[in-house]
Amino acid sequence: MNQLVNIDNLSVSYGAKTAVNNVSFALPTGRIIGLLGSNGAGKTSLMQAMMGLIPFRGQINILGFDPRTQRDAMLQHVCYIPDVAILPPWIEVQQLLQLMSGLHPKFDRELALQKLARTTIKLDSKVKQLSRGMIVQLHLAIISAIDAQLMILDEPTLGLDIPARKAFYDMLISDWCNETRTVLIATHQIDEIENLLSDVMMINDGALVLHDQLCNLEDRYIGLRYGSEHSAAIATAAPLHCFRQMGGECAIFAAPFPSELAQFGQTFRVELADLFVALSQGERHATV
Amino acid sequence: MADWNNQAPIYLQLADRLSQALLDGAPPEGEAMPSVRVLAAEYGLNPLTVNRALQSMVDAGLLESRRGLGMFVLPQASERLRAFERERFLNTEWPALAAKLQRLGITPADLIWPTKDDAA
Repeated sequence: MNQLVNIDNLSVSYGAKTAVNNVSFALPTGRIIGLLGSNGAGKTSLMQAMMGLIPFRGQINILGFDPRTQRDAMLQHVCYIPDVAILPPWIEVQQLLQLMSGLHPKFDRELALQKLARTTIKLDSKVKQLSRGMIVQLHLAIISAIDAQLMILDEPTLGLDIPARKAFYDMLISDWCNETRTVLIATHQIDEIENLLSDVMMINDGALVLHDQLCNLEDRYIGLRYGSEHSAAIATAAPLHCFRQMGGECAIFAAPFPSELAQFGQTFRVELADLFVALSQGERHATV
Repeated sequence: MADWNNQAPIYLQLADRLSQALLDGAPPEGEAMPSVRVLAAEYGLNPLTVNRALQSMVDAGLLESRRGLGMFVLPQASERLRAFERERFLNTEWPALAAKLQRLGITPADLIWPTKDDAA
């Protein structure tokens, strides 16, 4: 398989605290990968290490480049919006495009103009005059006009209202993604983004607790809604996680599923948000 | 964005929706389906999921893939769909409905069969 990213035994520490703990994974082309984790789980550190912004142990290979020693060459093929991305407040949109044309050899100014034409952003507006949603749209218009192969987005929809988030997802799917490009996107908006994803990675306490294609998850996890009279039987069947939803008892089981599940109630496909809670709060689960 | 239930895989639910649209003639037989990218953006789904849905419709004999041109609705698509639906009704829905009618003591004479005029 064609891998864009190969990471082996990556660890990131801040003094005595380990933010990313011995993580290994590969990312192929043509995927939209959701990186899920609680605050402080290590998502941002992982992304920063991939961009060569912080010291790390282990190996990172992005499109054949080592972010420690070949960062400039790597950045021609990678775009990144950090969660704290800040554009200078005094700059006009058109000046920013001019700046980008000079800074990035793969920046297509015409393409950025086309994308901006579909928004309400004016070229002579200064960044400080734009709303939060417009700033994210501007960011995305700029980076999606870079002919890169890997896009890394840290909480891109934070603080956006629903229409702006929808516009963001639309732009990602219809303008940027294709079979040769991959997006890694860290977010807390799990339920919104779930169906856009091809793959999911869950990180908890610096460790990768899940990394799989979404279409494989049905074979690995199943939900069961059951009547409370079956509680004792469910407990002995060793569920991964139990929760209440809409007045009913639910349990999540990991494969191999107990065979008698269906007689206790209705099985269902587990949503990522519930799986996330199960894997980050339940017992540590060593199946990556 | 569309609502999906958690009972069936999303790709099957999408295939179901697209099939219902075909029954209503959207798009008509012989015409091209919207591209994967357009469908992905419209339904808020990953393109791989859309591909899987379209592929299942190819397997069901509703669509055909033309190299480089995309997916097209096959001439007998709505006929096939109606046949599937009839089968599904007669095999799964009707037995349940018939049992319910019996439980409620409803006879054929109690039922009003819609005429062509009512349906219009």
